[in-house]
Amino acid sequence: MMQDAFSRCHPILNFFYFLVVMGITMFMQHPVFLALSFVAAIFYAVWLEGWRKVLRMNLLFTLPGLLITSLLNPMFNHYGVTPLLYIESSGNWVTLEALIYGMVLGCVLFIIILWFSCYNQVMTSDKFIYLFGRIIPALSLMLAMALRFVPHFTNQMKVIRNGQKCVGMDVSNGSLLSRIRHGLNMISILVTWALENAIETADSMKSRGYGLHGRTAFSIYHFDQRDRRLGAAMLLLTALVLYGCSRGAAFAQYNPRILLAGFVVMGYTPAKSCSIGLACVTFAGFGVFAFLPLLLDVAEEASMKRSRRYTGKDMETTYRQIYEELDRGGQTF
Amino acid sequence: MNIIEIRDFSFCYPDTDRDSLRHVNMEIEEGSFNVLCGKSGCGKSTLLRHFKSVLAPHGEKSGSILYQGVSLDELDQRRQSQEIGYVLQNPENQIVTDKVWHELAFGLESLGYDNSTIRLRVAEMASYFGIHQWFYRNVSELSGGQKQLLNLASVMAMHPKVLILDEPTSQLDPIAASDFLETVKKINRDIGTTVILTEHRLQDVIPWAHQVFVMDKGELITKGKPREIGEELKKQEHGMFLSMPVPMQVYAEVENDLPCPLTVSEGRRWMTELMQKVAAVHSDETQEEKKEEKTKKFRRKKEVQTEIPALKAEDLWFRYEKDGKDVVKNLSFEVGTGEFYALVGGNGTGKSTTLSLVSRVRTPYRGRILLEGRDIRSYSDRELYRGCLGVLPQNPQSMFIKKTVKEDLYSIIGGSREKQSAEYTVDMKKAEAVAGIASLTRLDGLMDRHPYDLSGGEQQRLALAKVLLLRPRILLLDEPTKGLDAEYKQELGGILKKLQEHKISILMISHDVEFVAEYADRVGLFFEGNIVTSKPAREFFAGNNFYTTAANRMARHYFPKAVTAGEVAQCLKERL
Repeated sequence: MMQDAFSRCHPILNFFYFLVVMGITMFMQHPVFLALSFVAAIFYAVWLEGWRKVLRMNLLFTLPGLLITSLLNPMFNHYGVTPLLYIESSGNWVTLEALIYGMVLGCVLFIIILWFSCYNQVMTSDKFIYLFGRIIPALSLMLAMALRFVPHFTNQMKVIRNGQKCVGMDVSNGSLLSRIRHGLNMISILVTWALENAIETADSMKSRGYGLHGRTAFSIYHFDQRDRRLGAAMLLLTALVLYGCSRGAAFAQYNPRILLAGFVVMGYTPAKSCSIGLACVTFAGFGVFAFLPLLLDVAEEASMKRSRRYTGKDMETTYRQIYEELDRGGQTF
Repeated sequence: MNIIEIRDFSFCYPDTDRDSLRHVNMEIEEGSFNVLCGKSGCGKSTLLRHFKSVLAPHGEKSGSILYQGVSLDELDQRRQSQEIGYVLQNPENQIVTDKVWHELAFGLESLGYDNSTIRLRVAEMASYFGIHQWFYRNVSELSGGQKQLLNLASVMAMHPKVLILDEPTSQLDPIAASDFLETVKKINRDIGTTVILTEHRLQDVIPWAHQVFVMDKGELITKGKPREIGEELKKQEHGMFLSMPVPMQVYAEVENDLPCPLTVSEGRRWMTELMQKVAAVHSDETQEEKKEEKTKKFRRKKEVQTEIPALKAEDLWFRYEKDGKDVVKNLSFEVGTGEFYALVGGNGTGKSTTLSLVSRVRTPYRGRILLEGRDIRSYSDRELYRGCLGVLPQNPQSMFIKKTVKEDLYSIIGGSREKQSAEYTVDMKKAEAVAGIASLTRLDGLMDRHPYDLSGGEQQRLALAKVLLLRPRILLLDEPTKGLDAEYKQELGGILKKLQEHKISILMISHDVEFVAEYADRVGLFFEGNIVTSKPAREFFAGNNFYTTAANRMARHYFPKAVTAGEVAQCLKERL
């Protein structure tokens, strides 16, 4: 599988990135943040998985999900100051605020799902294991073993099923009762087999010193210079965004009245507000942060192109020089 | 210097009255290549397990095992795990983690090395073993041979001084197996690691061994250099020869006083020498041809007899994915009634796929399969699998359901109660049927054991017995000799021959050229999804230069028609 430039960075950066992006999307429900987050998520998902797959998944699953949440919220919540519709049977008002908040929640859900599809591509199981293995070493081994056993068992189940099929005892043979019996038989075979063979796994672990004192956790990840720089940039941007938010640059409230920093909604603005400059900087900071992986990819592609061009030229001149020297002297060696 | 010394070591499993190991004395020199051989159940594995205290079975023991002069019981665990490496039989079960690189690092993690040391060692090992191409892969994507190589590499990453291998190649195909053994040899030669090995495939290891130990019934019967062992065993006329390399088998059969040949090329030279000694050439060759003629006639007769073949495949095509590559291409073959047909060929050529087509686990996208003249698709599951087709899976363990052999046998015919049921329609008492099959497959004494407590060969026979209880007329076998030693193979071969006498047709796929040569009637060579050639076994092997038995390769310059060790020995005896 091809990995993008950001996936090749240190797992801790990958994890931090998703943590911040998703955290801000979830907790700062300001429309500008949501819009930025949405655009970044969609671009990154398309970059990683191709537009066809992203489009299909979103139209089929997430878009209906969004509609349902945005409609459900006003049905059950009746806060707000702007009534739209009175429902006689329940005696409740459908309010504008609840409707809007439902839409915001739907959008958050939609964006988070998009982010998770990127997360799955970037944070592979071994990265996850590595990160959490640092905290709990036993857990990391357990996860690694679990990930090993799942395909191992599925495989064996196939073998068993074929074997049972060939003695006419497949789950598709016979009456309902015997089908169930055949199915249970297969599971019983699998369990016996698994337990019996686990002894050998245990032997192999013991013989390689498992259980000795002071076990370490090895990883193939390196925190290199680029990671350091990228990490610093990410920390800085996060600090900037958080500072802006603490000063009210991204204040958002939907209950009972809609109040959004930097916007006038139905004649109201939030009491606490910051300068337009700081608000712009905060949003820009988040935008840059959210687009970091893509920026990294674009930068890497450009530098690859440059280096290829440069190498070509360089080699050419070097060899030309050698040939020329040989021509001139001929006996320089 | 001796790295391991065993002094008068005896061992007895709990609740048994027979000692599993009796007064074993062994010295293993540092840096040497040692082969331990013996029949299944002779105590090889038990002995090997005692070389590492964490793996040693429980039981009563006496005598001592010294590692570099220190008793193994007093040697601390850290040193033991680091310096004594142990590779087990099953490649699959030994792997602990999900990634290749993690598996390589596993032992070093246990020993508590820091990241940079592990990085170096892992890199070293990956490069030495050629693992770097699949370093980042998931272990589930690897082939059996790669898995076992990974197990070896992850043990070697700990830099052991002694490497113990307990039948490491029994689950591998011949090519992967000889690659693996080649690597073990290279480790011994390049790094000087002491190797102690048990192995069925002795022809690949005996010629390199510095020392060979032969065990029988828990006792060490002889030890020495490979050549000496050959001569010694010949003198003692011991039954152990069955599992020795073919040249040694032939040597043992024939009266002579030359040194014992170990490899095929030595065997050839030995034969030349022997034949030159017997300069008087009789008119044996004509005799040989006559014999051949006879068998040919016999076969032709047989072919005339079979009008409707038991199994007929016509123009089969199969692929796994819609736009994938064809795995089986335009394949046609026939198996006559009562015939034993074997398919041989390399890995991944589509043999197993073909078997799954014939057993209807998968269906071809073009072509058809006729069983006794009827299309396989027109059979109901019950008709097909109960009474017509018997399929013995490669791994017998995937069939065992019950706690004892007896219950397990009954389970396939719908329990032990004597009533007519859909699963059992024959007019014969179930007890009789089970008893009959058990005596045919020689399970008589084992009826109360747990299936998993049986040895590999016995498990194979139990699985076969279960399949036979369904009274198939056509038997499909997938690598039935995998992991079996010579004696079990002989037993299996005997059973198959007996089945054939009762008009049961057999289709087998196998890597085991020797077994095929000994027992099959006809052999097809499978290559790239198709059968390249299909001939009577003798003709097939006599005609091939590379894909033939060791006996034939050894003797073809004198007896081109002799394909098994027995036949070569017979021919030689006739000449002498």
